[in-house]
Amino acid sequence: MRIRAPKDFWAGVMFGGFAVIALLAARGYSVGSAGKMGPGYFPLLLGGVLGVLAAVLIGRSVVLDGEPLPRFHVLPLAVIATAVCLFGFFIEPFGLVVALAVLTVLSAAAGPQFRLPETLALTVALIVFSVGVFVYALKLSIPIWPSGWPSL
Amino acid sequence: MDVFANLGIGFAVALTLQNVAYCFLGVLLGTIIGVLPGIGPVTTVAMLLPISFTLSPESALILLAGIYYGAQYGGSTTAILVNIPGEASSVVTTIDGHRMALAGRAGPALGIAAIGSFFAGTVATLLIVVAAPPLAAIALQFGPAEYFSLMVCGLVAAVVLAHGSLVKAVAMVVLGLLLGLVGTDINSGARRFNFGMTGLADGVEFVALSMAIYGIAEVAYNLEKGQQTSVVAGAVGRVWPSLADLRTCAGAILRGTGLGAMLGVLPGGGALLASFAAYTLEKNVARPPRRFGEGDIRGVAAPESANNAGAQTSFIPMLTLGIPGNPTMAMMIGALMIHGIAPGPRVMTDRPGLFWGLIASMWLGNLMLVILNLPLIGLWVRLLRVPYRLLYPAIIVFCCVGAYTINSKPFDLGVMAFFAIFGYVALKLDCEPAPLILGFVLGPMMEENLRRALLISRGDPMVFVQEPISLAFLLVAVGLLVVIAAPTIRRKREEALQE
Repeated sequence: MRIRAPKDFWAGVMFGGFAVIALLAARGYSVGSAGKMGPGYFPLLLGGVLGVLAAVLIGRSVVLDGEPLPRFHVLPLAVIATAVCLFGFFIEPFGLVVALAVLTVLSAAAGPQFRLPETLALTVALIVFSVGVFVYALKLSIPIWPSGWPSL
Repeated sequence: MDVFANLGIGFAVALTLQNVAYCFLGVLLGTIIGVLPGIGPVTTVAMLLPISFTLSPESALILLAGIYYGAQYGGSTTAILVNIPGEASSVVTTIDGHRMALAGRAGPALGIAAIGSFFAGTVATLLIVVAAPPLAAIALQFGPAEYFSLMVCGLVAAVVLAHGSLVKAVAMVVLGLLLGLVGTDINSGARRFNFGMTGLADGVEFVALSMAIYGIAEVAYNLEKGQQTSVVAGAVGRVWPSLADLRTCAGAILRGTGLGAMLGVLPGGGALLASFAAYTLEKNVARPPRRFGEGDIRGVAAPESANNAGAQTSFIPMLTLGIPGNPTMAMMIGALMIHGIAPGPRVMTDRPGLFWGLIASMWLGNLMLVILNLPLIGLWVRLLRVPYRLLYPAIIVFCCVGAYTINSKPFDLGVMAFFAIFGYVALKLDCEPAPLILGFVLGPMMEENLRRALLISRGDPMVFVQEPISLAFLLVAVGLLVVIAAPTIRRKREEALQE
């Protein structure tokens, strides 16, 4: 059996994966009956429908011709996703300035044209803007400096 | 007259100094992002959701709405001058608009786009004023069965109008509905799909999800496409179109407005579909046919009127039924919910200031756009020179700060990173994210209405076909699915949705 439509096939695999996760997780929830629905009723219904749709996509992909899989540029995405997570780790212990510096430099490095001086200038600008707008103007409670430092 | 009393309430809210300022800020931001390619209204509204948290609900909606329709104006400017559609809804404007600019008629093209948009915006606003109260009154009679069927119908329509594969779009809706169920079940208190993570006890954060998909995943997707170099057409020249131009365009503007206003109301519709449909219609009915595609001014007037009309009337289902027709409207519903307001027909009676204030501000915003846009065109063109490599880190920064501030929960950054990866993969596999967002917003409401409807009928599913209104919604949904599955119409749809 040959996969004729790789794009559809992998989309089917992705939805199938979500359907399996949903059905496995919802297994333990009480279903109840139609007239007195438990917390498991709607999730199981949706999980089942998603599974059927995934099967249709996979089944169709071996019968009908379709588009090939495009190239996945994994590295920029991975760098950006890591930067986002690091921001989450750093924001509370180290404060906005440090977290933003790490986030901006890493994000800029994910792009095709990385220029250090320009990136540093952008980092400073974004930090000044964010602190000014989010902390001072909008008064959102975000720590600016690492906890323990004297606040400005 | 009720209409005037209502508008009076509206203008009293919209004309406060604070709200005029937010309206202005909204349309200004909207225009800027409309001009900048690679950042759209959905992304911007998502980025500004956390900020709107600190405002009053009236000001928040006025600001967010301004961004949405402001972007329709900004998008046309770049479409005409540099052949780059700032927004998807301006794609067709490039065809004739840029040809006009190359022929030295950039001024009249920009002028007619602004005039058409203003006219369309005014008509669409009046339409909302007239149509919304009766619609909300009908919606107040809806029971759970009607609501459930209405949501099914809305989701089906959104799917039908999505690009690409129907199966993938339906799968995205279902996945969105499932994601909407993550968290604590309001009825039983049971925790669902939290996979042992306490961070998911309140569900997937809407702001984190939407910014992940429309902010971060899109950045990753755009980074692969090379930078486009923009060539600005010569001098803009006189902006006001001649009387002859206006006479030629009057019909096109009227038809564009009418078609756009109708399509905007449909779920899945809005500005994008409206502009494509209006251009196609104009090509077929314009007399004398002249040369569309070679710089016909009607090729600018019709889609620009239509996209603005569509942008405005897409507020109707959101405001009266609580059903979002497109992702931007889903964000608006998210903004309402952040403020603890349940969207639906009661908003109009319970919070008349919010409802009518928003509508009055839309008209004000349109007026501001005409005044703001034409003299500042030179400035907008200069904005185009901002390279994407400086723009995208800023988008990522605003998304991260926003995702954190909404609940002060570092966990939400992890959620955002996860859905950014998911969003990228989905885009790569041609799975449109819009149906997912709509499903996510509607998921909990849909379960609740299904549960209630079946509780009342004692588990008999026939209740959905026995209630006439519910049956009508379901028939429309089935009809749409049948129609779309038919081969000839499918081909037509693909043609129409082709960019």
